[in-house]
Amino acid sequence: MRLYLHWPFCVRRCHYCDFTSRVAGVNTWRAYASALRKELEMWSGILPRNRELRSVYMGGGTPSTMSGSEVSGLLQLTRRLFGWKPEVEISVEVNPASWGRSDYADARRGGVNRVSIGAQAMDDRVLFLLGRAHDAHAVSRAVSYARSAGIPSVSLDLLYALPREWGAVFPETLQRALDLEPHHISLYALTLSRATRLGRMAENGLINLPGEDEVADEYLEAREMLLSAGYLQYEISNFSLPGHECRHNLAYWRREDYLGVGAGAHSFLMGHRFRNPDSVLEYCRTLHSGGLPLQDLTPIDAQEAHWERIMLGLRMSRGIPERLLAGEEALDLMVVHGLMERRSGRVRLTERGMLLSNAVLVSLLDA
Amino acid sequence: MERERIRNFCIIAHIDHGKSTLADRFLEITETVPRQKMADQYLDRMELERERGITIKAQAVRMRYTLDPDGEYRLNLIDTPGHVDFSYEVSRSLAACEGAILLVDAAQGVEAQTVGNAYLAVEAGLTIIPVVNKIDLPVADPEGTAMEVADLLGIDPGEVMRISAKTGEGVEELLRTVIRRVPPPAGDAGRPLRALVFDSAYDTYRGVVAFLRVVEGRVTRGAKVSFMATGTKAEVDEVGYFSPEMTSCPELGTGDVGYIITGVKDVGLIKVGDTVTERERPAAEPLPGYREPKPMVFAGIYPVDSDDFQELEDALGKLKLNDAALTYTRESSRALGFGFRCGFLGLLHMEIVQERLEREYGLDLVVTAPNVVYEVVKRNGEVVYVHNPSDLPDLSAVREIREPYVQATILSPPDYVGAVLELVKERRGVYQDMSYLSSRRVELRCRLPLAEMVVDFYDQLKSRSRGYASLDYEHIGFLPGDLVKLDVLINGEPVDALSSIVERSRAHEYGKRITRRLRELIPRQLFDVPIQAAVGSRVVARETIKARRKDVLAKCYGGDVTRKKKLLERQKEGKKRMKMVGKVEIPQEAFISALRMSREERAR
Repeated sequence: MRLYLHWPFCVRRCHYCDFTSRVAGVNTWRAYASALRKELEMWSGILPRNRELRSVYMGGGTPSTMSGSEVSGLLQLTRRLFGWKPEVEISVEVNPASWGRSDYADARRGGVNRVSIGAQAMDDRVLFLLGRAHDAHAVSRAVSYARSAGIPSVSLDLLYALPREWGAVFPETLQRALDLEPHHISLYALTLSRATRLGRMAENGLINLPGEDEVADEYLEAREMLLSAGYLQYEISNFSLPGHECRHNLAYWRREDYLGVGAGAHSFLMGHRFRNPDSVLEYCRTLHSGGLPLQDLTPIDAQEAHWERIMLGLRMSRGIPERLLAGEEALDLMVVHGLMERRSGRVRLTERGMLLSNAVLVSLLDA
Repeated sequence: MERERIRNFCIIAHIDHGKSTLADRFLEITETVPRQKMADQYLDRMELERERGITIKAQAVRMRYTLDPDGEYRLNLIDTPGHVDFSYEVSRSLAACEGAILLVDAAQGVEAQTVGNAYLAVEAGLTIIPVVNKIDLPVADPEGTAMEVADLLGIDPGEVMRISAKTGEGVEELLRTVIRRVPPPAGDAGRPLRALVFDSAYDTYRGVVAFLRVVEGRVTRGAKVSFMATGTKAEVDEVGYFSPEMTSCPELGTGDVGYIITGVKDVGLIKVGDTVTERERPAAEPLPGYREPKPMVFAGIYPVDSDDFQELEDALGKLKLNDAALTYTRESSRALGFGFRCGFLGLLHMEIVQERLEREYGLDLVVTAPNVVYEVVKRNGEVVYVHNPSDLPDLSAVREIREPYVQATILSPPDYVGAVLELVKERRGVYQDMSYLSSRRVELRCRLPLAEMVVDFYDQLKSRSRGYASLDYEHIGFLPGDLVKLDVLINGEPVDALSSIVERSRAHEYGKRITRRLRELIPRQLFDVPIQAAVGSRVVARETIKARRKDVLAKCYGGDVTRKKKLLERQKEGKKRMKMVGKVEIPQEAFISALRMSREERAR
C-alpha cells in the first residue's frame, strides 16, 4: 500500500493557486496534526495485515511549514502503525524558503529519501509576481541543504506558460534549474482559474497568457533540453535521471492502492475511490468525535476500471498494453494523426499526443 | 343592395405611407368598428404583420356610409399587400375593384412600387383617386408631392387630394370622393355565376375561407359550385362578408365582395385568381388572369435538433394551409441531416415563413443561403430545374445554365443615380434607360439576375441612396449566364449546405472570402484541416486550420483521479453537441454562423 499525507497549510497563498491550501495559525496546525494522527491510527485498526508502505508522500499545501523534526515525527508514526517496506520511497514537498540545514537533516533521519522542491521559477522578479514566498537563491540553497543532508533524490517543480509581459524565457529558467543538477524535474503549465488573483488579472487583460502554439513550443523545447541532458520522460509532466522516477506518483497512473490521509485527500483502496472533506474544520471535527471523515465512496466496476487503465496509463511514457484498446477505431485514427504510436504490443502517446492527451482521451472515450 | 350603390376600392401605397391608418379612419367614420374597440390598424390582423408594419394577406371590409341626399352606400375596401414579392396577389386584389386610392406620403414622395402598382391599376381599368397623405408632418411637401403624382398620372396637380390620415383631416371628403368618382360595379346578374377568388385564408375549424368578388350572377348559401382552374367541387356552407368580423348573409350579388366557406380543407384546392362558378349552370369561360403561384427563391430549412424534423414538417403543413405560394419538399443534406427545400415568392416571403416557424411553432432552425431556381439545359437537350445548388448536374453534361431575370424599375433622386448605376453594374445588371419623372426623381430601368436581387440588393439600394431610392420589379424569364457551382470542402468533404451557384468570374473572389471566414469559425482539430473552395475539381481558394497543439491536464493533485474523469466526461458531453463533417467536429453554433455567413458573403 501507499500513503498520501496532506498538509493543507501555507505561509501565504500564491497568486495562481486555487488548491485546498490555507493560511492559518499555529493552533489550527496543532489541531490538524492531531487529527491526522488520529486518522492514521483509525486506519491502522481497519486495514488488513499486509499493508507495509511502499511509499509515503507528504504533499500540500506546504508540508515544510512543519519543521523537519515534526515531519519526521509523523513519518515515524506511519512506520509504527503500518510498517515500511525496505525499499520505501518517502517524499516531501518542500518550499525553498521553509527549511534550514537542520530541518533537512532531521527529515532525512526521519526517513525522507526524496524531496520535491517547489522552485516554480528561477528569477526573483517572476517569483515575486507569482506571489511565491521565496527568491531564486533560496532554490539553490535548498538543493544544496538537501544534498548535504544526504537525501538521495531531489526534484524541482517548474512552471511554464507564464504571462508574456513577465519576460521569463523558459529555456533559461530550465537551464538554471539544470545547473543545480536535480534528479527529477516536473514541468507544469500555469493554468489559472478565475478564483485566483492572476486568473482575474488575465480576465481583465492586465496580463496576457501565451497562446496554445507558444505553450506547446515552450513545452517541446523544454522536453528536448531535458532529454539531451540525460533525463528520461516517464510521464507527461515528469522527467528524471534513470532510477529517480517518483514511484508514488507512478502508482496513481498504475492504479495501485493508496490511502490518502488529511483534509481533501483522495484514496483508492480495494476497488473503491473515496475522499476526505476539503474543509479542515469538518475534517478535524469528525475525527475528534470518533468518526472517519470519508465521503464519496465509489466502487469502481470493471468497465470503469478499464477506462481508468486507459486514461491513467496513457499519461506514462510506457503507455498501455494495446489489447486495452482492442477494436478501437479511434486508435487507428490517432496513430494516423501521429498522436499515438504502437510499439511491441503497447500503445503510447507521441510527444504531440502528450500535449493533446485530453483531446485524445475524449476521442477514445467517445467510441 | 342594388349594384349602383356598391363601391369596390383599394388603397395603393408604399410601406409606411399610411395605408393602414387611412383604413382605420374609414372604419371609424363609417362606424364599422366602434371607436372604443378600435385597435390601431385593425386590418393588419396577424401579430407578425403588425410588428413588421406590413400587410401579408389581403382582406375585404364592408362599410356603410350615407351620402346626403342620395342615401346609403356599401363600400368594400379591399386591402392589398404592399411588397413586390406579392405582386400577383396585388394584381388579383386590383381585379376585384373599380377604383383605387393612390396614397403617397407627402414627406417621402412617389416610390417605385407605388408607380408599379399605379400602372397595374391603370391597366386593370381602375379609377385612380390620387391622394397626398401626412400633410400634417412638418417636413411634408404636399405641393411637390402632388406635382409628382400629377406627372405620374398625367393629370392636373389640383386634382390631387391632400389629407392627414393621422389627424383625420380630409378623410371624410376622400370617402365621399370615392363614392362620387369610383363607378359602381358592372356585371349581369342574370348570367351564370363568375366570382374571382382574390385571396384566401385558413380557419382551423372551418377550412378554407375564400374571398370573392362576384363579377356576374350571384352566390348563395347551399349552392353547388366548382373552381374552374383547379376543378375543385364543393357546396357553399356559408356566405358572408367582413364588417370587419365575419358576418354571414344569405347571398352575395353581382358586384359584391365577401367570402364563402365550403368545407374544403386544403388551400391548394382553392387558389388565388381562380373563378368560382355554379355546377348546374356553369360559366363558359373563367375570368382572365389566373396564374399558378411560382416560387422563385429557394432555401433549405433544417431543424437545429434533428429530433424536431417531424415537428417542422407538421408546422410547414400548417403554414401551407394559409399560404398557397409556399412549397416544400423533403431533402437531406450530409451536413444538416433531414430537412426541407422550400420555395418562396421572394426574400420577404422567406423571412416571413422563417419567422412564423420560429415564433408560432417554437422551432430552432438552420436556413441555408437562399438561391433562385436555375433552368439547366443538358447536352442531350433535356431541361431540368435546379432548386438546390448541390443538385446541379455535372458540368460536363450541361450545355447551358439559365437564371431568372427581372425587369427592375428604380426611382431615385438625381443625386444618387450614379451610385445606383454602380450597384446595378456590380450586380451584373444591364442598364436600359432612364427618364425624369420630375425634377427630383429619376426613373431608371434595367435588367438584373434575380439571384442578385435575392441577396441584399434592396438594402444596398437603400443604403447607397440614403434611403431615397425605391425599387419595383417583375419577372421576365430565364436568360443564359456564365455560371458555375462552387463547392466548399472541409477536410476534403464537400459540405452540400455551403454549395452555391456563382458567376464564373467571381468564383475565386467569393471562394477566398468564404474559406477565410470558415477558417476563423471552425475550431482547431486534432489534425490540420484544409478548407477549399472548388469549381468542379479545380480548387479556387484554400485555407488551412492548423491542428491543435495543447489540451492537457498537467497534474493530478494528490491522486484525485475522480476530478480528471469528470473533466473528460464534461469534455465528451461538449463533443456530443458538435456537428460532424466527415471527421471534423464543428460546434453547432459555429456551423450555423457558417451558414449565416455564407448568406452574407453571397450578399457582397
